[in-house]
Amino acid sequence: MNVVQAVLSGALIGGLYALMAIGLSVTWGVLRIINLVHFGLILISAYLTFQLATSWGVDPLLTLLVTVPAMFVAGAALQWLFDRLAVSEFNSLLVSFGLLIITIQVAANIWSADFQRMTASVNPYATASVSLGRLVFPVTTLVAFVLAGVVVLGAHLVLRRTFAGRALRAIAQDSAVAGAFGVDHRRLSLVLGGLVGATAALAGAVFALSNALTPETAYEWFGIVFAVVILGGVGEVTGTLAAGILVGVLSGVVAVVWSPATAPFVLFTAIILALLLRPRGLFAIGAVR
Amino acid sequence: MRRGAIPLFAVLLGLLALAFTGIPSFYLVLLGTVCFWIAQATSWNLLSGYAGYFSFGQAAYVGVGAYTTAVLTGRHGVGFFWTLPIAALLCGLLALGIGAVAFRLGSLRGEIFALLTLAVPFILAAFARINRSVDGGQGTSVPPPDVPGWLGDFQQFQYLLAVAVAGLAVGVAFVIQHSRTGSALAAIHDDEDVAEVLGVPTYRYKMLAIAVGGVLGGLGGSVYALQIGFVTVESVFGLMIPLFVIVMAVLGGRGHWLGPVLGAVLIVTLQDRLTSYGLDEWNAIILGAILAVLVAVAPAGLYARLRSRPLLALAGFVVVCGVLAIANVWGEELDWIVAGLLAAAAAAVLVRRRTTTPVPTPAAAVDKTDVDLPAAPLGEIIVECRGVAKHFGGVHALDDVTLDIREGELIGLVGPNGSGKTTLVNLLSGTFRPTAGEIRVGGADITTLAPHQIAHVGMARTYQIPKPFSSMTVRDNVATAIVFGRTPVSLREARPLADRHLATVALGHLADAYPAQLNLHQRQLLEMARAIAANPKVLLLDEALAGLNPAEVDNAVRVVRRIHSTGITIVIVEHLLRVLNQLATRMVVLDRGTVLADGEPRAVLSDPEVVRAYLGRQAHV
Amino acid sequence: MRRRFLTALAAATALTMVTAGCNRGGAEEGGDQPIVVGSTLSLTGAFAATGLIHKIAGEEYVARLNAAGGLLGRKVEWKVLDDQSDQSKVSQLYEKLITQDKVDLLMGPYATPNILSAMAVAQRHGYVLPQHTAVLAPQLTYECQFPAWSIGPQPNSFIPNQLFDAVATLPAPPTKVAVLTSQSGSAAFVSDGFKDDRAGAISIAKEKGLQVVVDVHYPPTTTDWAPIATQVRDANPDLVISNGLGVDAVNILQAMKQLNYVPKKMFALFPAPGPLLALGKPANGLLSVSMFEPNKATLAKLPPEATEIVDQFTARAKEAKLPYTVFETQATASWNAWQILTAGVTGSGGTDQKKMCDSLHSKGADTVFSGHLTFDPKDHNFWPTTQSLKQIQDGDWVTVWPADKATAPLR
Repeated sequence: MNVVQAVLSGALIGGLYALMAIGLSVTWGVLRIINLVHFGLILISAYLTFQLATSWGVDPLLTLLVTVPAMFVAGAALQWLFDRLAVSEFNSLLVSFGLLIITIQVAANIWSADFQRMTASVNPYATASVSLGRLVFPVTTLVAFVLAGVVVLGAHLVLRRTFAGRALRAIAQDSAVAGAFGVDHRRLSLVLGGLVGATAALAGAVFALSNALTPETAYEWFGIVFAVVILGGVGEVTGTLAAGILVGVLSGVVAVVWSPATAPFVLFTAIILALLLRPRGLFAIGAVR
Repeated sequence: MRRGAIPLFAVLLGLLALAFTGIPSFYLVLLGTVCFWIAQATSWNLLSGYAGYFSFGQAAYVGVGAYTTAVLTGRHGVGFFWTLPIAALLCGLLALGIGAVAFRLGSLRGEIFALLTLAVPFILAAFARINRSVDGGQGTSVPPPDVPGWLGDFQQFQYLLAVAVAGLAVGVAFVIQHSRTGSALAAIHDDEDVAEVLGVPTYRYKMLAIAVGGVLGGLGGSVYALQIGFVTVESVFGLMIPLFVIVMAVLGGRGHWLGPVLGAVLIVTLQDRLTSYGLDEWNAIILGAILAVLVAVAPAGLYARLRSRPLLALAGFVVVCGVLAIANVWGEELDWIVAGLLAAAAAAVLVRRRTTTPVPTPAAAVDKTDVDLPAAPLGEIIVECRGVAKHFGGVHALDDVTLDIREGELIGLVGPNGSGKTTLVNLLSGTFRPTAGEIRVGGADITTLAPHQIAHVGMARTYQIPKPFSSMTVRDNVATAIVFGRTPVSLREARPLADRHLATVALGHLADAYPAQLNLHQRQLLEMARAIAANPKVLLLDEALAGLNPAEVDNAVRVVRRIHSTGITIVIVEHLLRVLNQLATRMVVLDRGTVLADGEPRAVLSDPEVVRAYLGRQAHV
Repeated sequence: MRRRFLTALAAATALTMVTAGCNRGGAEEGGDQPIVVGSTLSLTGAFAATGLIHKIAGEEYVARLNAAGGLLGRKVEWKVLDDQSDQSKVSQLYEKLITQDKVDLLMGPYATPNILSAMAVAQRHGYVLPQHTAVLAPQLTYECQFPAWSIGPQPNSFIPNQLFDAVATLPAPPTKVAVLTSQSGSAAFVSDGFKDDRAGAISIAKEKGLQVVVDVHYPPTTTDWAPIATQVRDANPDLVISNGLGVDAVNILQAMKQLNYVPKKMFALFPAPGPLLALGKPANGLLSVSMFEPNKATLAKLPPEATEIVDQFTARAKEAKLPYTVFETQATASWNAWQILTAGVTGSGGTDQKKMCDSLHSKGADTVFSGHLTFDPKDHNFWPTTQSLKQIQDGDWVTVWPADKATAPLR
């Protein structure tokens, strides 16, 4: 029974991992920018969720009405900056690292480095769950999972069915040629940057629902998020969701069957194996590229 | 000895001597930290900068080195000096392991390789935590070792160690850069497949680079353990070390051994000054801003910029430092030095140099004398293909191709698109292995050989879309081929030989230019020069005339003739029939993967089968 | 355009640095030279959450000290640098403070790894090092290192014993325990012991006849707590011992509540106190270790300055925008450390490090919150502990054990 619950909880938290990772994966795969500031946007969104919910006394999920548009703008602005700087793929990693350091410090300056956590009166979701017999679905990760699913479904439909989607896939393959066919690389990449920012807002909000925040938290996400990006295949939206679920489930099962200490060991060894066997990602279908 | 060696030695000796000058130990500790980062950034740069294989796993070596020393000295009382070679050995083995998996098993490149190296420290960290005999999560104390009296007290000892490791790392990087290994890594960096086909044993050199980098990183890690005195998983396997190593190396410049040194010096001293000002809320912001700005503005690194404007940078440094020192209203010596460094960097980076890059002169008067093809008796069979087939999944690119090529022939390989011409070239040069059949060159079966070995047997090829080594001059492109040809030669010796080959293709006047400045035709000529530089027996020209105007085509034809007259057997894949008419002694026609016709050009071209397959129902010759 | 923008940015950066440097310029001219205390603290980085508390406490202490006339008639100046939670920076900065800035006195940094690195430097130069929170007594071998927080020379035995003694007095004492251990520093130490001393929560539980139904070690990087929570729920222990740091306990409790399970009794080793209170009902009844809780009854037994100190700290913490502004164990550790330092100076009549060390060994130190401390080098200066247990009751931490210190009954 333990194992079944671990699988379930792992799959759900995998939704949160995927929600965090999708933005990074898409920016990397389509726009060829390794955008570490994405972690910063998630962090700021989490803090904003905390702040707005606490100060205005509103339901934390309602703060999405503010944070999503705000992060959309932030994401688009960031993308504009990257376009202007015209950095190479690898250098984008370093430039964004510099910006991430700044973001984290700004967060620390505003909210101090101490743990900030929404109180139970402000945030009823933290300990809530939905039960089906012995199986339990924690509300926070359930929300994450649903949001991740919505984002992935939306992305999938857009990419397959709309002109913008096709244009994005064209850009991912060869932006110069796409330009020759009338695809406005600049405008589309701004929109994409904004959408990625919006996913950061979602991820940050969910994270704030169930965790205490400190500025350093941003660095703690690196390992898991990159693991998910690798397994899902860079730029593959559906793959990222599947990979998130896989990472969550694998870690959870190993933690229960063996020990939580072994989970990262198994996970990252699995990643190396995956890279050897299927370098494009385990789930290289429905790809952007 | 090479140009930079003497100053390098002098600096090293100066640094070592510094320990005994009675300078406050804080400076020794600061310099020791700088040396740690120099060692890490330089060792990272060997594989990631020189060869272009970005690694995110530097923490693996630091961690293994630090833990080896910590566990052996802290838990088992082993003497500190013994732990150094053990750490080096373990890290070297680890690096070789990673290399074997990444390069051999997986042929992983680019971002995939980077992600694989990212996973390694996580695995090692988990292993250290699980394993109580290593750490179990509690951390391990590193007792200070017994220092021989003449080496001074602990800080001096540690400083000397740090300088020694950094000196070793920089020395190794210097030697590698100026050696064959350096040329190989540079070629691998620019285009690994081309390098392999040219004769560079890429696997060997990559393994060398990763192993040496690992060993140096591990030694640095051992000394680091001594410095921090207490080793925990978080402090050595964390992500900050690899990230900052990359920052320093990229900021400084990845192509040159001085780059990581510059980056390390700048970042460490800058951080130190920022900390000492107590600007805690601003420290990270300033650092992040400087990092982002510098990388955005000088993507190739500071070294390249400083090198192009050395005097301006020096002036900036001297002026700012001097003014601050004389005025003496703010800060202390170290502050002035750091301010001077920043000023120098800013000057070098922000003042854009007026482009004085050589404008390629119009093609020198081409030697229009035609070389008459001597009616040479056809030589021995040099290449034999028997029943060669290549299938890509369900696609049969080649099916049952049987072909003999004799020495001295100039064969035109033609066929409609998709008929398998380029595939055949790829098979002959070793880029692919045949699904079935045999290929022999000079009697030796090449189907089991690596591409670089096939190159040494005497096969050379050009690419339809030219792939020059973009970071090397035209001359060096050709010289690299000679360096890694059948008879190994040093780069210095190869350069004059390269000039000769450039003369053959009439590219001599552009020898010092970079490929980016060449037009398409010149690049194709470069391809040819590079291909013939290693004195191959057989040259495969893959649509070397694509995209040229008639005058350029004529020029190219003359070049091909000249090459042929030197005795090289040529197989030329072409669409332009008038060219083949002028050049070829024999024509082979491929259609849908099989040989349709093979013989004298005139006969082949009038064969109705060929006409139908290739030209459609209209015949134009 | 881009170049101009970047030039402007670079100029602005340089200007900031210059201005900041100028602010430093104003050195005190003439009169008595102040006594300079040098230290580093983790003001940014992984340990910053608690580092801040020590900064505020230290600043308050120095301000009070100077207001009361300073030390040996001289003003005290505290030079604290940010070590960014980075051990290599700790050793570098302490070397700088000692050899370049030539500070008169040292104060320790925060977090065990940093303290150990600083200790090595202090030892090399023969400086007295009061340190706040490293309780891994066996590893702190320098005889002039003075702990401000002592759980005795063997915390790995003391803590489990104290806990089990306390819960044994409950109407329904626990018989089954679950032990969850974070694989990091002090937490692992308390569960598993160190080197040959294998005593720890697990072994002592067994000695006392308790059944260990869950024994899980988790890495500090854990993000998914459900597997651990599920195991605990299914084992249904009477007492859950969470030997973890920071917000581990909060996360575990939350994960268990999500599974609709609330443990009968739970103990957390070194949690961050604030987030647990924010968790609300599920955290009720949680036990932890404590040096001091500002409960009314406790303060009443102490001199009035204790209340002043507590209130001033809260005011300062609020100003610094800290979410949890209560003066409790961490701040107490800071206060003790500073009192030890000043005791060393006043006891030896000067800032000679050797004399200070000897004075502390022979005379000890008086502290407001922990009474008189005595330092025995045989115990690595870990004074007889006055540690108590605290419990969350009605949304606040109260001292509940031992009986003579308790301000509320153990529930």
